[in-house]
Amino acid sequence: MPSFIEFRSITKTFGGVTALKDVTLDIGRGECHGLMGENGAGKSTLGKVLAGIHRPDSGKMSIDGHEHSFHSPRDAQDAGVAMVHQELAFCPELSVAENLCMGQYPRKLGLFLDRAEMARRAEKLLGEIGVTLDVWQPMRELSTAREQLVQIAAAVGVNPRIIVFDEPTSSLAEPDAQRLFALIESLKARGITAIYVSHRMPELFRLCDKISILRDGQYVGTLEKEKMTRDAVIQMMIGRSVEDYFPAHLSRAPREVMLRVSGLTSDRFRNVSFDIRAGEIVGFAGLVGAGRSEVAKAIFGLDPRATGSVELAGKPLPLGSIRAAMRAGVGLVPEDRKRQGCVLGMPCRANISMAMLDRLRRAGMLDRGREKQVASEYFGRLRVKAASLEAPVNSLSGGNQQKVVLAKWLARGGKFLIVDEPTRGVDVGAKAAIHALLDELAGEGLAIMLISSELPEVLNLSSRIFVMRDGEIAGELTRETASQEAVLRLMAGLAEAA
Amino acid sequence: MSVVQELGLALVVILLGTVLSVYGWHDALPGRANTFLNFDNLIDGIATPMSYYAIMAIGVTLVIITGGIDISVGSIMALSALGTAAALQNMPVNAPASQVLPVAILVPVAIGLACGLVNGGLIVSLSLHPFIVTLGTMSIFRGLANVLPEQKTLPSAGRFLPPAFTTHFMRVEMFGLQPMPLLIMLVCVVIGWFYLRMMVTGRETYAIGGNEEAARFSGLRVGWIKLRTYALAGVAAGVAGMVSVGRFGTASTSTGTGYELTVIAAAVVGGASLIGGRGTAMGALLGTLVIALIENGIIILRLAQEYRLIIIGLAIIIAVSLDRLSAYMRGRSRRSH
Repeated sequence: MPSFIEFRSITKTFGGVTALKDVTLDIGRGECHGLMGENGAGKSTLGKVLAGIHRPDSGKMSIDGHEHSFHSPRDAQDAGVAMVHQELAFCPELSVAENLCMGQYPRKLGLFLDRAEMARRAEKLLGEIGVTLDVWQPMRELSTAREQLVQIAAAVGVNPRIIVFDEPTSSLAEPDAQRLFALIESLKARGITAIYVSHRMPELFRLCDKISILRDGQYVGTLEKEKMTRDAVIQMMIGRSVEDYFPAHLSRAPREVMLRVSGLTSDRFRNVSFDIRAGEIVGFAGLVGAGRSEVAKAIFGLDPRATGSVELAGKPLPLGSIRAAMRAGVGLVPEDRKRQGCVLGMPCRANISMAMLDRLRRAGMLDRGREKQVASEYFGRLRVKAASLEAPVNSLSGGNQQKVVLAKWLARGGKFLIVDEPTRGVDVGAKAAIHALLDELAGEGLAIMLISSELPEVLNLSSRIFVMRDGEIAGELTRETASQEAVLRLMAGLAEAA
Repeated sequence: MSVVQELGLALVVILLGTVLSVYGWHDALPGRANTFLNFDNLIDGIATPMSYYAIMAIGVTLVIITGGIDISVGSIMALSALGTAAALQNMPVNAPASQVLPVAILVPVAIGLACGLVNGGLIVSLSLHPFIVTLGTMSIFRGLANVLPEQKTLPSAGRFLPPAFTTHFMRVEMFGLQPMPLLIMLVCVVIGWFYLRMMVTGRETYAIGGNEEAARFSGLRVGWIKLRTYALAGVAAGVAGMVSVGRFGTASTSTGTGYELTVIAAAVVGGASLIGGRGTAMGALLGTLVIALIENGIIILRLAQEYRLIIIGLAIIIAVSLDRLSAYMRGRSRRSH
């Protein structure tokens, strides 16, 4: 007897990066099935394959004994699969009713919009999941939680047999999450099969009948309800053989404190205190939205509302001014390379010199000779692979773009460098090169704050690790006490500092 | 990259020039000069009328490079031309150049600067879209030009602008020609080239147009750079107003009406990208020259003036399409390597 949903050898690559590799998985009818894994493990991708958003490169998928190959979300919908997305996809200026009826607006006389009918349909859809709200309010006036309910109503409204939930609680506060769980329970009671993608263990344990774990795009195993324990899941999530790369900077004696942050507070984080020594790489782990990037931006002067004290090399750093931070010797390699890191249409040379234009100014003139000299020096040192120094940055691969952003800050020079997700979307070779470079820079005495959602990266490179959770520092781990499990525990709020 | 573009435009200019020259040679009466290729036509027929457009196009190109737009330049030109006329008509007619010229230059530049600062200040401080702000100020500046002068045309009846500025400066004769507007235009191109190409200011301008967020994350003062750019576009419009009032000896409330569209067209034909990050001073000049040659060609070829707008419109669309096509081809050849 075949299972309700069968994935057979599903493989999916995105431009050379393998997101799913030979995944074979069965899901039973009426189950609530959890998909777990670290960032980039492929759990969302698998959900999106089922919902027709991604087409697998190879492999087969069948639902209720029928093989399916979806070309679009519409195909999936016709086969009874709906999806509730992590990023909410609505037209914010249109009303709830207009959003819910999108694509199939009721008409009068084939021409005029039938608003009364539209409201009736919207209210019926919301009623199905026990929600009442004014269907004529514009979408943008709704809280995130209510927006999500509307999205679920839209998903349930197409009468699906299967609903894929992709990290539905990532933007929800606790009481709203509880309501969502009750709703999922009631859907389950109606015989709907739910695929629940998340990395939050408590809610998965509560909701799911089974949990399947993915790691590096591969299927690891499935746990039955009675075998679900934190330890078992973490074991399966980590499992990989972590290469024990020992960074050279660690063997040097600790030096003077370069950065001292005390009581830093703003909208998205509270009372953050830590210090980083010269020649040290300090890792920051935590879930997306835990406040790590926000702390980094505040130190770099991008948060005018930040309060607290930041000292660099013993001197207080004024908050809220990028230029003051840069003058003091702070650099930031931002998390969003394409939006914040580089000017894609400009050549490598101009991107590398961009943070040091003030030093290339000679009576208002741009010292092009020196610019070229400095740019080619760092271009060479970082081994940027590009047609030439004059190639526009958008002709480079992600890893080489990131090297250009790093080169920009190295060319300026400084005492303290923040690197936020330095290897996101970067291929393996460039990743190793960036790791080696960070190690080398620390060896030269630079203080480095490393923010990364990739645990092995943080664990391997850092001399100490701070774990952030909900805008606060949940704990500090030394190299001796740090392990994936210890970090995950702090991230999940399961333990105080080890 | 921009050099390729400029060469392409120069090619278009040479092509248009050659066609018109051949026609002008064929068309000339026996023993008379080529109707197109003669100094009178080149200076009076092309260079002088295009000078206001080109000067403003350089300023607007700066704005477009930052990713903005300025549609108030025609109104600023009117305001500064009227301001200059109002200031000069009160001076004795026989005042010496040493007194007249400083007023004739500083007044329009100051008016242009003030208007540009208003534009930039509103755009930066209120984070408003430049199109909306300059749409508003286009109307306000034009309104001021209507309200402030006591008459629709200055100088007022019975008064005159000092010849030290008009006849002996803006219309000064050299070898039987009046090249002053041409010279001022060329000086503006050189200044624009210097500003964009040689100075740090240029790099900053391209950077915020290419990616404002990344520029800010690199420590560039985005607000100041924008303010400065709109101020310079205002100054350029002020200079255009000065050239206009000096050449005609009068300024009217309708001076420069509708010029903003031709100016933007010239900048875009010259390779400026409305998305930002692209454009050059030389391109602005060449773009204006292409439009000026077409306008002149319509006269030389004795085409009906009624078709002028259609031909210009088509030329703009064709020029920009060709530019996109060539960028696409270059992109393809780069990827295939």
